[in-house]
Amino acid sequence: MTFQRILQTITFTAFIVLLYLAAFPLMSPVPVDLFLRMDPLVLIGTLVSARAFIPLLLPAVLIIGFTFFLGRFFCSHICPMGTTIDISDQIFHPGKKGGPDIYRPVPASLRIMKYLVLLFILGAALFGVSLVFLASPLSLITRLFGLVIFPVVALLMDMGLFVLRGAGEILGLSIFPYTAIEAPRYALQFFIVLIFASVFGCAYLSPRFWCRYLCPAGALLGLCSFKPFMRRRVDESCTRCGLCVQKCPTGAIRTDPFKTDFSECIVCLRCTDICPERAITFAFPGRNQGKAESPLSGQRRKVLGAGLAGAGAALVSLSGLRQQHRGEAPGQIVPPTLIRPPGAIPEADFLARCVRCGECMKACPTNTLQPIGLLSGFTAFASPVITPQLGPCEPHCTVCGQVCPTGAIRSLPVSEKIWAKVGTAYVIKHKCLAWEFDQECLVCDEVCPFDAVKLQRVEGLRVAAPFVDESRCNGCGFCEHHCPVLGDRAIVVEPMNALRLATGSYREQAEVLGFSFEMKQQSSYEPAEREEKDTSKGFEDALPPGFTE
Amino acid sequence: MDSRSLLSALFGEEDALKKGLTRREFMSTQAKGALLFAALSSGLYVPRRVLAAASPDIVVVKGSPGAATRAAVGLLGGMEAFVKPGNKVVVKPNMSFARGPDSATNTDPEVVREIVAMCREAGAGKISVVDHPLRPNEMCVEGVRDACRVFPDTNVQALEDKDLYRKTELPQAEKFRKTHVMRDVLEADVLISVPVAKSHSSTGVSLSMKGMMGLILNRTIMHWRYDLSSSIVDLCTYLKPDLVVIDGTKVLSTNGPGGPGNVLKYDTVIASRDMVAADATAVAMFEWYGQKMQPRQVKHISIAHERGLGRMDIDNLITKKVQV
Repeated sequence: MTFQRILQTITFTAFIVLLYLAAFPLMSPVPVDLFLRMDPLVLIGTLVSARAFIPLLLPAVLIIGFTFFLGRFFCSHICPMGTTIDISDQIFHPGKKGGPDIYRPVPASLRIMKYLVLLFILGAALFGVSLVFLASPLSLITRLFGLVIFPVVALLMDMGLFVLRGAGEILGLSIFPYTAIEAPRYALQFFIVLIFASVFGCAYLSPRFWCRYLCPAGALLGLCSFKPFMRRRVDESCTRCGLCVQKCPTGAIRTDPFKTDFSECIVCLRCTDICPERAITFAFPGRNQGKAESPLSGQRRKVLGAGLAGAGAALVSLSGLRQQHRGEAPGQIVPPTLIRPPGAIPEADFLARCVRCGECMKACPTNTLQPIGLLSGFTAFASPVITPQLGPCEPHCTVCGQVCPTGAIRSLPVSEKIWAKVGTAYVIKHKCLAWEFDQECLVCDEVCPFDAVKLQRVEGLRVAAPFVDESRCNGCGFCEHHCPVLGDRAIVVEPMNALRLATGSYREQAEVLGFSFEMKQQSSYEPAEREEKDTSKGFEDALPPGFTE
Repeated sequence: MDSRSLLSALFGEEDALKKGLTRREFMSTQAKGALLFAALSSGLYVPRRVLAAASPDIVVVKGSPGAATRAAVGLLGGMEAFVKPGNKVVVKPNMSFARGPDSATNTDPEVVREIVAMCREAGAGKISVVDHPLRPNEMCVEGVRDACRVFPDTNVQALEDKDLYRKTELPQAEKFRKTHVMRDVLEADVLISVPVAKSHSSTGVSLSMKGMMGLILNRTIMHWRYDLSSSIVDLCTYLKPDLVVIDGTKVLSTNGPGGPGNVLKYDTVIASRDMVAADATAVAMFEWYGQKMQPRQVKHISIAHERGLGRMDIDNLITKKVQV
């Protein structure tokens, strides 16, 4: 195996392991979002759309820096999207296995497309709209593995376990008697699957079609590497056999084996390995052998056009009906289910930073974080929301903020996170078993971690009925998740009074607003032999809740 | 049997004590007392004679969690009376909340550990300590699992996966006739319920009967399709513990089942073979929201009594109260 294949295998494995480790509790010595933070498009796109340099993205700065010296080594050695495409190229390539590659000719002029994609995204970013998620390789591949492949594998393993247990029972063996594999579920899976079906399908047209023609991160690196310090060099022993021209996965060696298109070269070093004459080396400092001018020179019209198209797309989406505006303008449509994760910064900044990678959704232990569709306009497409019906937001968990590569969700300690109110719960009386049907039920009170739901006796009802103490409710959604009423639950969390702070302490802000989120903890001890009755809860002589006369 | 009647039974007529004793009577009493003391401390005499004479229906022991638990089971004939060598045992504590024992929302781990220890001494085979908790599994069972770590082959598990349950008919139920019950429970020879005593804002109290809801998969249906109290009784027609040990060392007197509420320190453990009687005793003995309540005021207890599942008329039963 070549050096490049070995390194590629190592980084791809690391990517998968880190993604797997993106879970609660976070137990990885390395940041689990490291690969996302290396994506040059995530860095530049977010830099423009959020108007902020995000220190978390320092790894991408290093990648870009090294690219000036080494060329697009990232694409061949590190990028898990590239590796995945290499694997799919093996599977989907036309012709027989082991036989010659029979590719349909793709016009080389199409290569400009990736630059246009990049400029489209940057054009939109100028207006604060982040379209990074549409084409950032790390965002795409994290979504694929985190939100499609992991759940499918978990489902398969769960089925396998079921079969194994059944077989064990017949043999009188107890196999993994208590192991449970819970397969998470996600929305928008087919959006992800369709993107990748097209990306993989393009293996029919050319190897690494995505990297050659579409990838805006590759384009960005191409702009940094049209004159790299380390270059491919062909010495005099070359017989012009043309093998390197034929086998170059990115077509960087067009017709003349001596000439290299450095913006296209991903430094995979395949040409050095396959050259029968060993005539090819990559060396410092490289002598100029080939085209060393910007791939965009002479393309001013297309460049301008793509940027303008991006800007136009941003403006059109910003004028959409469901677009959230800065501030709370009258007439603003706020979807009742738009409950952002705790620590999500103010909405416009949040959307400018969020790259929709799905890392938070993968890591969320209760599966409550889900990508939304067009619920809140196009600019919010595939961004995360809390879905209480599916799962509550666990108060002790802060993992979504910890794994967010761009700081769209702030990384908060538990002591702060509890105060990052995401919404408020409301009892829908006409659906509530107690309020409407006079049936015994207390689940919302029982499960509330903050003691925000109280059951009280109400005139006209035989049973005690739930009330929400708004000042104690931080919107975690335990009540909605566990409410036994089907369809829309009888107690629902809405984004009312959510706290969205870009900086500063949530606790301080919440306290200023009169909130008090104390986890139910130790109760008070009192001697059993007391004379006076407990009147502290206002029950006095009323029948205790749940008892009958 | 309370301590006063025990005294009069052993020491002769209560009246004699009141009237004033003759010297001879006094000597005789002293001798009996000394003999009894010796017998009691040797542990040989009392259990056989006294218990054989009047085996209690309900035992109430005051003391520290572990010691009171051991004494309570001992007074019902010891764990050997319930667990035969090789038996599969399921212990059902309340491990539904991710809070420490001081909050009285979960059974005190020491009580559970003592039960497991006694089961092992009685020669039990597989012992499973299980519950279907409300909060994330691992955080709920932590306390009990730590306490039971000394017994390496004991399973302390919070079970949520549907594969670990099996659809089961409840033949004697009125309405709630089918549900998924934990496989461990279905396969067990002995079921021991070890609830903590706590208030419950829709069923009054949550004790051994209510606790059986922690052995099935889908509990919410009991809230919305059926009447909660009668479906608890339906469930208990099938899930009938052989032994109930109620942890009343700390009682969540208000704002149960999740708390936080007033925790009253009673240092009491109640044990019985009859789940209804055990629950009724806890209702009558402890204070709920600062009030004294009657067992009949808890709907599922009174329905269970009417349907013959057990007895809530505890005044007609033999209760033995001891302090350790």
